[in-house]
Amino acid sequence: MSEFDVSRLTGAHIREGVVTGQFTAREVAEATLARVEALEPTVHAFNQVTPELALEAADAVDSSRAQAIADGLDPRDVLGALAGVPAGIKDNMNLVGTRTTCSAKILENYESVYDCTAVRRLLDAGAVPIGKCNMDEFAFGSSTENSAFGPTHNPWDLERVPGGSSGGSAACVSASMATISLGSDTGGSIRQPGALTGTVAVKPTYGRVSRYGCVAFGSSLDQIGPFARTVEDSAAALAAIAGADPMDATSAQQAVPNYVRAAAEGATGGAKGLRVGIVTDLLQADGCSGEVRAAVENAARIYADLGAEVGEVTLPASAHGLSAYYIIGPAEASSNLARFDGIRYGHRVEDPTDVLDLYMRSRAEGFGPESIRRIMLGTYALSAGYYEAYYGQAQKARTLIKQDFESAFKDFDVLLTPTSPTVAFKIGEKSADPLEMYLSDVYTIPVNLAGIPAISVPAGLCPSSGLPIGLQIMADYFAEETMFMAAAAFEAAIEFDARPPLRYESARGTRAAQEERR
Amino acid sequence: MAKDRLAQVLEDWEAVIGLEIHTEITSSNTKMFCGCPVGFGGEPNTRVCPVCLGLPGALPVPNEYAVEATVLAGLAIESTIARWSQFHRKNYFYPDMPKDYQISQYDLPFCDGGHLDVQVGEGDGAYETRICVTRIHLEEDTGKMVHVGGAEGRIAGATHSLVDFNRAGTPLMELVTEPDIRTPEEARRFAQKLRLIWLSLGISDCSMEEGSMRVDANVSIRRPGETELGTKAEIKNMNSFRALHDGLAHEIIRQAELVESGGHVVQETRHWDVGAKRTSSLRSKEEAHDYRYFPEPDMVPFQFSEEWIEAVRAKLPELPDAKKARFVEDLGLSGYDAAILSADISLSAFFDSAMSIGGAAKAKAIANIMLNDLAAYLNTEAISIDESRVTPAMLVELVELVDGGTISSKQAKVVFSEMAATGDSPGAIVEIKGMKQVSDTGAIEQAIDRVMTANPSEVEGYRGGKTTLLGFFVGQTMKEMRGQANPKLVNEVLLRKLG
Repeated sequence: MSEFDVSRLTGAHIREGVVTGQFTAREVAEATLARVEALEPTVHAFNQVTPELALEAADAVDSSRAQAIADGLDPRDVLGALAGVPAGIKDNMNLVGTRTTCSAKILENYESVYDCTAVRRLLDAGAVPIGKCNMDEFAFGSSTENSAFGPTHNPWDLERVPGGSSGGSAACVSASMATISLGSDTGGSIRQPGALTGTVAVKPTYGRVSRYGCVAFGSSLDQIGPFARTVEDSAAALAAIAGADPMDATSAQQAVPNYVRAAAEGATGGAKGLRVGIVTDLLQADGCSGEVRAAVENAARIYADLGAEVGEVTLPASAHGLSAYYIIGPAEASSNLARFDGIRYGHRVEDPTDVLDLYMRSRAEGFGPESIRRIMLGTYALSAGYYEAYYGQAQKARTLIKQDFESAFKDFDVLLTPTSPTVAFKIGEKSADPLEMYLSDVYTIPVNLAGIPAISVPAGLCPSSGLPIGLQIMADYFAEETMFMAAAAFEAAIEFDARPPLRYESARGTRAAQEERR
Repeated sequence: MAKDRLAQVLEDWEAVIGLEIHTEITSSNTKMFCGCPVGFGGEPNTRVCPVCLGLPGALPVPNEYAVEATVLAGLAIESTIARWSQFHRKNYFYPDMPKDYQISQYDLPFCDGGHLDVQVGEGDGAYETRICVTRIHLEEDTGKMVHVGGAEGRIAGATHSLVDFNRAGTPLMELVTEPDIRTPEEARRFAQKLRLIWLSLGISDCSMEEGSMRVDANVSIRRPGETELGTKAEIKNMNSFRALHDGLAHEIIRQAELVESGGHVVQETRHWDVGAKRTSSLRSKEEAHDYRYFPEPDMVPFQFSEEWIEAVRAKLPELPDAKKARFVEDLGLSGYDAAILSADISLSAFFDSAMSIGGAAKAKAIANIMLNDLAAYLNTEAISIDESRVTPAMLVELVELVDGGTISSKQAKVVFSEMAATGDSPGAIVEIKGMKQVSDTGAIEQAIDRVMTANPSEVEGYRGGKTTLLGFFVGQTMKEMRGQANPKLVNEVLLRKLG
């Protein structure tokens, strides 16, 4: 058993330690897997833990270091930017050697036959795959309660949700069962769980990261992005996965800038001259908790202290964001999910009477209630006679939202809102009321509709509950450098410790607690 | 006869026909949205990948060649090329469609409008009619279902079905015509001419047998002079031009008889059964799908610049009509010969190749050999011109041997048969067989003398005015010279000696 505590190591530390020989990638992987073994039974961040893939990847890193030294090369120049860094992968991204289930019964036994581009790039940079992370079924949800395999628990409070849909990806990083992870964000599915688990969570510009190999939800909205416990790690992870991909016709051709350097500049140089806009109309919206609002206002003051020019801005069209999103997202999803029909793979009903019966019952059995709801919503919205009134109008709203952002970014470099209107809610608290749940993403959805990048960074703990609050920092198209700079400056100023207190360990008498005591 | 019955029916009724013609872009190396090879047949499910199998997470990347080929097709029939276009998703469930939606085009096809002028009939009844094209769009082909346990592979009575996805994702062009067609013959002529144009463009092998060109028809009837359209039926499974003609003819007759006997046509899809010579109902339109089209979000829209469109236009080859006109006007062929030669891509390419070797002066002679000797040979051997041993250069050489007087036209026929059988050059054949034509007047005179000596009564008869005996003397002389005498010289000498 390894001697060190992986929760104290960032990805940057791990790579440095591996490069210099302070420890091996295998030691990091083993320590991480031990922590998974201890904590996973209570957190349930993973659908599948992949110790064999992890150790294989870790050994590959260690042997390339040995080879580099044997060849008289500096391992620093040879090893990937994420060498030895343990990573969780959302279970909607394909990786050969794993099942890709999307937390859905219909894909429960689906084995990947090819690799998702972003996952491939992450592993090519030396990351060590720890497992496939739990999620809301097909990414439909904001709490991970919609998983067919049971909810993920928030490491800050096991009675609470970690957010969603990338709840497993957020929880595993929060609980240090992985150092970084990949999630996907269609309406807030990276940023909102980031906020609820006190992690750094990035939704890149649409097209910045290839979507190839990530099971599609809303094709015009989906974007893969990283979770980490520091802005620097999230920047390094995005740098590894970003860039054009010939397999994704919507991936952008733009070169990938040095995000890590941008984060470093922000951390050391403050925010002098940065034009920061606080989005007042969204901040004042009903449903936003007072403590969340106060944290964002506090963030604005911190920026001012750091030398930023802080102003106010409104995004009026974003009031239509939720409605537009719940047309466009389900419309695209209803089509994207059609292929799960029991014909070629996935769940198929026993003894179908004919092909229609096969389709109908396989799908009825294989999809959970929220998937069925979204498929029905989307099918309705695209139906003859309704298309213009729903899809057509939603696209118009989307254009207006885009125009709001374009105009705001003429005056500001970054915009601030809360990431989520509330801190993590209790498991079961909102699951009876889909509309209430949909409101969780009111701040994140306009970002997807516009296609701009945004990051959620911890903005401190809520005074009453002790739970993390997330600050959403939005930037202009492909201005991830500015976004990372601003986020790193803020992170440095508030000195947030992203590790949850792990209160549950003693309370539950888990193996983790025993391990901690030893 | 159905033909007579059709003529009868068309005295009382006007048929209104529109065609939907699907053509696979078989010249594309790869499928529409992935790198899998395009081709007919093969072991089932061997030309597949995550993209054309629609595996979770796979994304389509458009095949630029296929887009260009479609635009080229549009330019060839004078369509307007869209400056802004995009793919849409056509959503419906069917097991041969891996994603349960087809990437197709909806309100923004690549090619809008266009037309073809079609010659119908021969001789006095011939006429030309313009068939307008509504649009050409690009989509992906589906896989193929194999129904097991039922009759003739049809789904009725099958116990189970298999799917082969080799064809899934093949680039597929769909052309839709206006309801401008009035007879089965017009439909056939249109489809034939369109096929010829597609072949000239080199975008598809247009094999109706292998399904790389598939013609469906919408047909309805109305009384002559009416302007309202009748209820239409869609006819599928017409896998040859003959089937297209016959399927339409039978459907028109069926509709007319149905209405005349007090019934009415229902909107439905009907299947042409070539064996039974009838159409049968496949599905009624009440089961029609709501395809829920919406813009394909996995691809960015296409913006075609004027420059790009012009660059594609510059790639247009000579089209069949222009080719036919050139054969008549520049090469002096008869309209009939020009029509036949220009109606076949391989034939016209062969002819043009011979022209470039032998020059325009030999056009008539080459065309003559091609349309007689070569056509007969290909027909007997049941091979295509591309498989023939006879090359354009060989035909040119053959014509030169005749023109130069080395061999007679009659000998040329023998040489042709020989070179078709062996692949030897005409010169070599003439050499080996000792077939050189004798133009030596002395030898001819001697032969004629022998003939005249042997046939004194015929000589007398001729001189007594029975000049028709000249043929007899020519024949005898040629026989005497084993067919190798120059017939022109034989004639001259005979006339002199007998006179």
